[in-house]
Amino acid sequence: MPPTCSRSEHLSRRALFKGTLATAAGGVVMNFGGLTSSAALAEEVKREKKHCILLWMNGGISQFETFDMKVGRPTGGVFRPISTNVPGTQVCELMPKMAQQMDKIAVIRSMRTSEVDHPGGIYLMHTGYRPSANVRFPEVGAIVAKYHGSEGSDLPNFVKVSTQGDAGAGFLGPKYLPFGVGSRGELPTFSASPHDPAHELRRHELRSFLEDEYVRTRKSDLVRMHRESYEAARRLNKAREVFKIDAEWEQHRELYGDSAFGRRCLLARKLVESGVPFIEVGQSSYDSHADNFAWHKGLAPPMEHAWAGLLVDLQQRGLLEKTLVVWAGEIGRTPKINNRAGRDHYVRSWTTALAGCGIKGGVVYGESDADGVEVKDKPVTEGDFFATIYHALSLDPKAENLAGVRPVPLAPFGSKVVSDLFG
Amino acid sequence: MLHLRISVLAVLCGWVVTVSADEPRLRDRIDESVASAWQREKLTPAAPATDSEFLRRVSLDLVGTIPTHDEAVAFLDDVSPGKRDALIERLLADPRHAQHRADLWDLILFGRNPPGYDTDKRDGFQSWLCEQFANNVPYDVLARTILKAEGNSAEQGAPLFFVQYRNQPEDCNEAITQTFLGIQLQCARCHDHPFEPWTQQDFFGMAAFLARLEVVQVGKKDELTMWAIGEKSTGDVLFTGPAAKQTPGKKGEPVKPKFLHGEPLVEPALPDGFKEVKFENNKPPPAPQFSRKDQLAEWITKPDNPYFARAITNRIWSQFFGRGLVHPVDNMSPSKTPTHPELLDELTKQLIAHQFDLRWLTRELVSSRAYQLSSNGATGEPMPNWFEHARSRPLSAEELVASWRVATGFDVVDAAKEKKDEKKPNSKSRFKPLQWEYVIRFFGQPNNGTGDFQGGLQEHLYLNNGQLGSLLVNGQGSLIDAIAKSDASPEERIDRLFLSLLTRRATDAEKQRFTEYLAADKNQDRLRDAIWVLMTCGEFRFNH
Repeated sequence: MPPTCSRSEHLSRRALFKGTLATAAGGVVMNFGGLTSSAALAEEVKREKKHCILLWMNGGISQFETFDMKVGRPTGGVFRPISTNVPGTQVCELMPKMAQQMDKIAVIRSMRTSEVDHPGGIYLMHTGYRPSANVRFPEVGAIVAKYHGSEGSDLPNFVKVSTQGDAGAGFLGPKYLPFGVGSRGELPTFSASPHDPAHELRRHELRSFLEDEYVRTRKSDLVRMHRESYEAARRLNKAREVFKIDAEWEQHRELYGDSAFGRRCLLARKLVESGVPFIEVGQSSYDSHADNFAWHKGLAPPMEHAWAGLLVDLQQRGLLEKTLVVWAGEIGRTPKINNRAGRDHYVRSWTTALAGCGIKGGVVYGESDADGVEVKDKPVTEGDFFATIYHALSLDPKAENLAGVRPVPLAPFGSKVVSDLFG
Repeated sequence: MLHLRISVLAVLCGWVVTVSADEPRLRDRIDESVASAWQREKLTPAAPATDSEFLRRVSLDLVGTIPTHDEAVAFLDDVSPGKRDALIERLLADPRHAQHRADLWDLILFGRNPPGYDTDKRDGFQSWLCEQFANNVPYDVLARTILKAEGNSAEQGAPLFFVQYRNQPEDCNEAITQTFLGIQLQCARCHDHPFEPWTQQDFFGMAAFLARLEVVQVGKKDELTMWAIGEKSTGDVLFTGPAAKQTPGKKGEPVKPKFLHGEPLVEPALPDGFKEVKFENNKPPPAPQFSRKDQLAEWITKPDNPYFARAITNRIWSQFFGRGLVHPVDNMSPSKTPTHPELLDELTKQLIAHQFDLRWLTRELVSSRAYQLSSNGATGEPMPNWFEHARSRPLSAEELVASWRVATGFDVVDAAKEKKDEKKPNSKSRFKPLQWEYVIRFFGQPNNGTGDFQGGLQEHLYLNNGQLGSLLVNGQGSLIDAIAKSDASPEERIDRLFLSLLTRRATDAEKQRFTEYLAADKNQDRLRDAIWVLMTCGEFRFNH
């Protein structure tokens, strides 16, 4: 192994030559020296810099109570459809705000995935891969942090607001670990320095001296990674103001809807504006094995209000064209309504949605059959879903990272980009 | 007479007498094997570890803490040639060695977030474990005791392992095969393994041994609930075929116990008119007519079990060398070739010949020249494939706190106070004055003792802005006290700081910079800053 690059930082050569790999200034420049530090590519990096917000519907939101209604069928449930701003497309009556934003989003009604329970599904829909004993796959957030993040930014490159998923950075290493903030967007305990800035700086300088001395004579990947995290923690101290959103929340409460999820979405927009490449915002608890309709009646309206507000806000600020908004949970729900008025776990046919970053609005892709039991047309696997996400973010889904000596493509081998979603 | 004298000598030297004199020591076999791999791979090994490096490393590995300032000075200034061997003997006999082993095994068997109700209260189990290691109980006996689970979880301790898998024979099977046999069967739970020889029948044949277990509450002891593991005389696991072909409502076929790739279990027939008993709370469950679990425990821990001895040998190796000879250590599938096949065979053979004496194995490993290499190699790889430099690993949560307490003298100051208080310590009071919850949250992972470091920026929020200041006490015996009251030269005081925290003397550049820093004003804040720097730097955070 050449000492200049650590094993997690190899990129696919082919991907680099194709030029589809938008890279941030830091990690890659360090490894590929002259090749990527050329002025032209740096310019391209700047131009390409993209963001992604994942709206995570934890527990598995129902496709039937959102975008794939089965009106008049035994599997249809109790809600009525409403018209949207896209002629011919209807959604559930629980989503009046999103009905007016349908021209911005593409709905995939033909998801077919391979992990039917929560832990496996959460892993799968965060990484694109099924859990494996041998490879620790990174979450999409870590991958986006790696390629679109900036080394040395004050803010972390991967932020999670009240959400699930514990695959973290996987084999990409601690540099790309998610930074978790609380359910109201508050910073974690111990974020604030107890010392005045002068004191903080002076002890920092002493610490830096000692660390410099150490690495002058010794090689250690662990000490290097430890130091990088230390630097990131210190920079965060400078950027704490970004997380204070009370004042702005007052002005945007109406747009996002007065809910905790709305507040988290506003924080996500603010973080995008501040340069954070990946933010995940979560909402629980869609696991409606009983009382499915009551749960969705309670949960979906504040969620869809916030989502619609987020899309409008991003567009007004000119951010939507470079920000991909992903809407997904780990599983869908059964067509059959069980004897407790609930719907159980289902992955043979379910729904996700994408918006922004070149995604064509107003599209409904794929189709489930009359009762929503099977995908009737154009199935989309988890691999295809992630390939599409990476493509939208200007990343080649076939680009490889090394897990030990094993090359692992961003999206699983054989995945296809759903190109009909792009304008 | 002569014979007797030799054995007495051997015992005094801490040797086990079953090895004949002309057989090479295991430590030498290790060094031969890794050296021949270096030659083949064209690698230059790192230099031998300095005394400082070795002292810090072996102290953390054997007793879970860095040495005190005085221990460091005594060892570094000792000129006797056998001082490393003497140190190893002293550390192996230290009560903290048993505690450290118990900490490690508690995490191997339970992890930080074990499944099952009440499994977070492990005082009974942990003190049992500690006792086993203090008495150097052979590993096969230890494993057998856990798997037989006799008595209850509060008084005997061992039964707590099964409490994690109440009514979950499949999960229990995965845990037992992974922990004690070093193989992963979980794929074969749902389908025959695509490229390992494990079939679904293998999986359920093993799970069948565990199908009749029940967790029974048999009373209370102090704060702890006593759990016992009952076993019924009837009941089977049901096998429904590949998961992908399952349909709702399909009933499975009962599967009989069969040892993994071995014989089916021969079971005596139940007596005529046998009526199954129902276990009652607060009553020890009666023994079954025939215990499947005990049969499994015996089979697993037999010296000729094809997996058991190799798995423990590989695991203990990895604890001192970072990487298993098959890596990771809990996935030694048949398709994986060890990096040093002949060495793994030799180590395994000798461990069996030494009746699974883990202390003996540990002594041989840490006495090898390979273990005593510097960690400063040609690459910064924390777990080098060919052991051409020593591994680096993060300190565990327990090791970090113990080391901070030793370095700052909090230990000494607190012990003096504790005597007056006479309060009963518990497993969390070892973390004093830090809060157990925070330390585990920020430093609880990884807990497998390898270089799999995943510390993100969160741990630094705690190190920078958290509770470390509470360790910097002033009283008699504290580091601050020793420095502040010292009439030694500034340079000597800096040496004391470095020896207390990093087990080495400061370099000239460090002496100069730290002296300037402390001299800038007499405020004790500056001394606290300097200690904080040494407590949080990379050199402290890792065992290297």
